Amino acid sequence: MELDYDFMISDFPTVLAGLPKTLVLTFWSMLWALIIAIVFGSVILSRVPVAKQIVVALNTFIKGVPLTVQLLFCYYAVPFVCKWLDSIGVYDFNPRHIPYFPAAVVAIACNFGAYITDVVVSSVKAVDRGQTESAAAVGMTPLQTVVRIILPQATVISIPSMTNYFIWLLKGTSLASIINVAEMLITAQISAADGYQYLEAYVDAAIIYWAVCAAIEFGCDKLYKRVGFFMQPSRA
Amino acid sequence: MPSDLMQTVVPGLIEHIPITLVYWFVPSVLSLLFGTLLCIVRVGRHNVLYWICTIYISFFRGTPGIVQIYLVFFGLPKLFWIFGIDINDWSAGIYFIIATTMNLSCFMCETLRGGYVGVDKGQIETGLSIGFSRTQNFFRVIVPQTLKVAILNLKNLEIDVLKDTSVAFTIGAVEMLGYAKGVIAASYGSGQLWILGAAAVIYFVMCTVLEIVFTLISHRMERYERRVA
Repeated sequence: MELDYDFMISDFPTVLAGLPKTLVLTFWSMLWALIIAIVFGSVILSRVPVAKQIVVALNTFIKGVPLTVQLLFCYYAVPFVCKWLDSIGVYDFNPRHIPYFPAAVVAIACNFGAYITDVVVSSVKAVDRGQTESAAAVGMTPLQTVVRIILPQATVISIPSMTNYFIWLLKGTSLASIINVAEMLITAQISAADGYQYLEAYVDAAIIYWAVCAAIEFGCDKLYKRVGFFMQPSRA
Repeated sequence: MPSDLMQTVVPGLIEHIPITLVYWFVPSVLSLLFGTLLCIVRVGRHNVLYWICTIYISFFRGTPGIVQIYLVFFGLPKLFWIFGIDINDWSAGIYFIIATTMNLSCFMCETLRGGYVGVDKGQIETGLSIGFSRTQNFFRVIVPQTLKVAILNLKNLEIDVLKDTSVAFTIGAVEMLGYAKGVIAASYGSGQLWILGAAAVIYFVMCTVLEIVFTLISHRMERYERRVA
């Protein structure tokens, strides 16, 4: 195959320079997704009458719509929101500098928040019921039970699924390239545009994504083995 | 709601549903085949083929779908060019289908492998011991039980694939979202939120239908379980 290997090697640092932006986007999206998931998960778990049905319906709808549509929706909605926010607080509307980065964060966070809600709910439900009862038996208040008994165990149980969604999210940030957020894929695209060496640039990007995802998977696996020691069946 | 706009756009969106469904269905069927083959290699002995498949799967699971689509779109013509075949005039949809099939096969393989691991090994031995040939054993014992375990994950996978067809417009394959984007661009962005909202509702309806169908199938597959219990 006629690949421009020299370009591929010389372009590698250029593409790699886009990685921090991807990671920042991943970080903020994951953070907000977790916040959304924890709030939604608590609502579902605590069975708040009307709010639970609303949250479930919202989750179902978000999961039924492609991330691409959500991204485009947020992208096109941003100017309206910006105009509406004009001169509220310190924000000053400027049509030439519309912040598309937050739009991507909102779209990705909402999408993955819906998925991670399921992880939160199922992890909490996976904690053995006996644990709650024991906590009550030794005289803990419900709040203490949640904070000291359920949350630590549920967190550990959720690590494998969280890792999966974390990797999905990292890969999902590449879709933000369609709404002009300058992450790694866009960087690769721009660097390749001069000589139409798209394939080489995309190979570079693919290698970097692959390496990062493999590293995350490896790291989270190690973490799970480290903190999940109590999950192993006892050899009694 | 700008009703005159919606009167023209909504029928247009509905007209493009079949293309979306083709982009979903063809890769699904093909990758059920390739995924099964990959799975057979992956649960077998650790030979050279096993490691090749493992690396292939790791690559396709570790890179974003959009990057894979670009790689196929730009790379496949170059690859075919070595053999003197010119495929530059293929439509973008074919590249999308190829890329999605390669991607989905890997996920399908892992899902099926999860199901296979969940099958009681005694069942397979029993099948062989009562005189099934290996092919018969595969189709009558292994496949039904593997599918029964894997069906829930398969449902999620298929819904994801249906939603991921919306990425096809990035390489110029016009399906439902591609049409919606075209209309938005042609009308200089007026009414874009309504058009995207309509597309979102249609996607949601399609996903719901798919979910209901899969739930019915999984109930049917579990009918023997309930009788015993």
